[in-house]
Amino acid sequence: MTQTMLSLRNIKKHFGAVQAVAGIDLDILENEFFALLGASGSGKTTLLRMLAGFEMPTAGSITLDGRDITHTLPNHRPVNLMFQSYALFPHMTVAQNIAYGLEMEKLPRTEIKSRVADILEVIQLSHLATRKPDQLSGGQRQRVALARALVKRPRLLLLDEPLGALDKKLRGEMQLELKRIQHEFGITFIIVTHDQEEALVMADRIAILQDGALLQCGSPQDIYEHPQSRFAADFIGVMNFFPVRRSGDHLLANDGGRVFADLDDAVANNSDAVAAVRPERLHLDVGKGENSLTGRVSAMAYHGLDLQLHLETPLSPDSVMVRLTADAAEARPLSIGDEITVGWAARDTRVFAA
Amino acid sequence: MTDRKSLYLMTPALAWLTGLMVIPCLLILVLAFFRRGIYGGIEYTFTLENIWLVFDPLYAGIFVKSATIAGTSALIAVIVGYAAAYAIAAAPSRRQPMLLFFAVLPFWSNYLVRTYAWIVLLNREGLIASVVHSLGYDGELPRLLYTESAVVVGLVYNYLPFVILACYAPLSRLNPEVIEASRDLGGSGWTTFRRVTLPMTAPGIATGFVFVFVLSIGNFVTPALLGGGQFQMIGNLVYAQFLTANDWPFGAALSMFLIAIMMGLLTLQTFATERASGARKEES
Ligand SMILES: Nc1ncnc2c1ncn2[C@@H]1O[C@H](COP(=O)(O)OP(=O)(O)OP(=O)(O)O)[C@@H](O)[C@H]1O
Ligand SMILES: [Mg+2]
Repeated sequence: MTQTMLSLRNIKKHFGAVQAVAGIDLDILENEFFALLGASGSGKTTLLRMLAGFEMPTAGSITLDGRDITHTLPNHRPVNLMFQSYALFPHMTVAQNIAYGLEMEKLPRTEIKSRVADILEVIQLSHLATRKPDQLSGGQRQRVALARALVKRPRLLLLDEPLGALDKKLRGEMQLELKRIQHEFGITFIIVTHDQEEALVMADRIAILQDGALLQCGSPQDIYEHPQSRFAADFIGVMNFFPVRRSGDHLLANDGGRVFADLDDAVANNSDAVAAVRPERLHLDVGKGENSLTGRVSAMAYHGLDLQLHLETPLSPDSVMVRLTADAAEARPLSIGDEITVGWAARDTRVFAA
Repeated sequence: MTDRKSLYLMTPALAWLTGLMVIPCLLILVLAFFRRGIYGGIEYTFTLENIWLVFDPLYAGIFVKSATIAGTSALIAVIVGYAAAYAIAAAPSRRQPMLLFFAVLPFWSNYLVRTYAWIVLLNREGLIASVVHSLGYDGELPRLLYTESAVVVGLVYNYLPFVILACYAPLSRLNPEVIEASRDLGGSGWTTFRRVTLPMTAPGIATGFVFVFVLSIGNFVTPALLGGGQFQMIGNLVYAQFLTANDWPFGAALSMFLIAIMMGLLTLQTFATERASGARKEES
C-alpha cells in the first residue's frame, strides 16, 4: 500500500475568469481510500472531472500507473466516475444501466449477468432490476449509479457524493460495503463528500480543498487532531474558538485569564491569535489540565453516548461546547443555569494566527 | 384542474373542430357510398362501387407511389433535419435561438413562392443549369424539373423546419452528463450516439417522420408544380375528382382512405411517444 498510483502535478483549471482548481499537487497510493472535503464550489467536482477525462486541465499533468493520461479520452481510462447528478440512462432499466459498462468491455453474456446480479444484491435492489430510473426514489437512483460505476472494477473509482441521498442506516451499510469492495477488488477510491464524519470513518487519507487549492492533506487523525489552519479546524468536527494574544510562553484571553498551549513559532509574541479546543477535550475534572474555564450552562442536549453542554463564558461571544461522556455526566448531575468550571490540557490547545 | 373547468376551456376548440373538421369528414364519408350522377353531381343511391374502385390496380398503384414518395421525403427530411438539430443543440446555448430562427425562417414565406423558387432553380434554363454551364460544361444535363426527385426535393425542403424543431426539442433536453456517463463506462463516440443519444431522442424523430409523411402523402401542390402535369399523387387524384372529373363520390372514397392512413400513423406515433415518456409520468 505504499506504491504511488496516481500523481497530480500542478493541476489547474480555469473557466474563463473563474479559477476552479488552483494548482494541486497530490499523490494517491495504490488501494487507498482517499476523501476530498471542501465547501460548495471549492473545486471538488472539477478535480474529479479532470481525473475522469471530461475537463482538460488548463495546466499540469495527471499520471496513472506511470502513464501520462492528462489528454487521454474518458473511454480509454481505467477510471470510472460516479456523477453527482447520477446521470443514469433514462431509457434503460436498472439492470441494463449496470450492464452497460460491462457490455462496453465485450465480456461474455453469462459473466455480465452474474456480475450485475451480484452488485444488485450488494446495493439491495435486486427486486427493482427491471424498473426504469424514473420509477426509483432518489436514494435508489443513487445506489444504481454507484453500482454502475462499481461493477466495472476500475483501477480508480471516483465518487462524487455517493451516499448523500441515503438515510443514516443505509448510508452506514453502504460505507461498509464500499470498504469491503475496495479490499476485495483492490480498487483505489477517491470520494467527495460533504459529510466530514463519513470522511473520518472511511478514508485512509483526507484532503481539504479551499477555493481550488489543497489546504491540508493527511490521515483522519492527523486532520482532526492537528488542523493546520482555522478553516481546517472549523471544517472538520466541532471546535471552540476564542480570541487570544500571545504573551511569551502563554496566551492571554479576553478576560485577562491565561491560556496554556504547546506554542511554536506559528504565532509571534504580542500578536493576536485564535486558540481552539475540541469539545471532548474539556473535562469537569479541572485538575486534569493546565487550563480552566468557568461558565454558565445555557443548553444541554443528550445524545445517548454523550451529553453536550453549551457554556456562556467571558472568553468569547459564542457559547463554548462541552462534550461529556455518559459516565462523567452521571457522576455530576447538571441542570441549565448551573455555574461550572471545565479544564483541559495545554497539549490539547490549538493556536492559529488570527 | 376540475373536469368541468377543463371542459369550459376546451369548448371553443371542440366547437371549431366539430364544425370544420368532424362534420365535413362525415359528409365525405357518406358521399363515398353514393353513385355518381350521369352529368356529374350525385345520385342518392347506395353503392360500394367507389370503394372497390380505390383498390383498382391503377389507383392502388398511385397510392403506393404516393406512399413511396412521402416515405422517401420523410426519411431524407429526418436525416437532414436531425443532423441540423444536433448541430444547433451542440452550439453555444446563447447562439441556439438565432440558429433555430434561421432554420425556421423559410417557413414564414408563402408555400407557393417557396415551391416556385425550386422551379427557378431546377428549370432547364434555371440557376443550377446556368451555373453548371458557366463552369464550362457544354453537354446535356439530365432533366431536373418535373421528375419524382424534384417532388421529393420540394417536399423535404418544405417540411424540414418541422423536423428540425421536432428533433431539437429532445436533443436540447439531453443531460450532457448522461452522454459523459456512457463515455466514462467505456463507450466510444459512435456507440454512445447509437445506444444513448439516438434512443433518448427517438420520439422527436418519430414525430418528425410522421409529420412529413402525413403532410406529403396528401400534398397536391408540390407534385403539380414540380412533378409536371402528368405526374400524379393521391392528392392530385382527389383534386381532379372534385374539380375536373366531377366525380365527387369517388373523390370522397379516395379521401377516406387517405384520412384513414394518416389517422393510423398519427395514432401509432402518439402511442409510441406516450410509451417513451410514460414511465416519467407514472412517477409524478
Ligand atoms: N463549466 C463551468 N463553467 C464555469 N464555471 C464553472 C464550471 N464548472 C464549475 N465552475 C466553477 O468552478 C468552481 C468549482 O466548481 P465545482 O463544481 O468543482 O465545485 P464543488 O466543490 O464540486 O461544489 P459542490 O460541493 O457544490 O458540488 C465553482 O465556482 C463553479 O462555479
Ligand atoms: Mg460538486
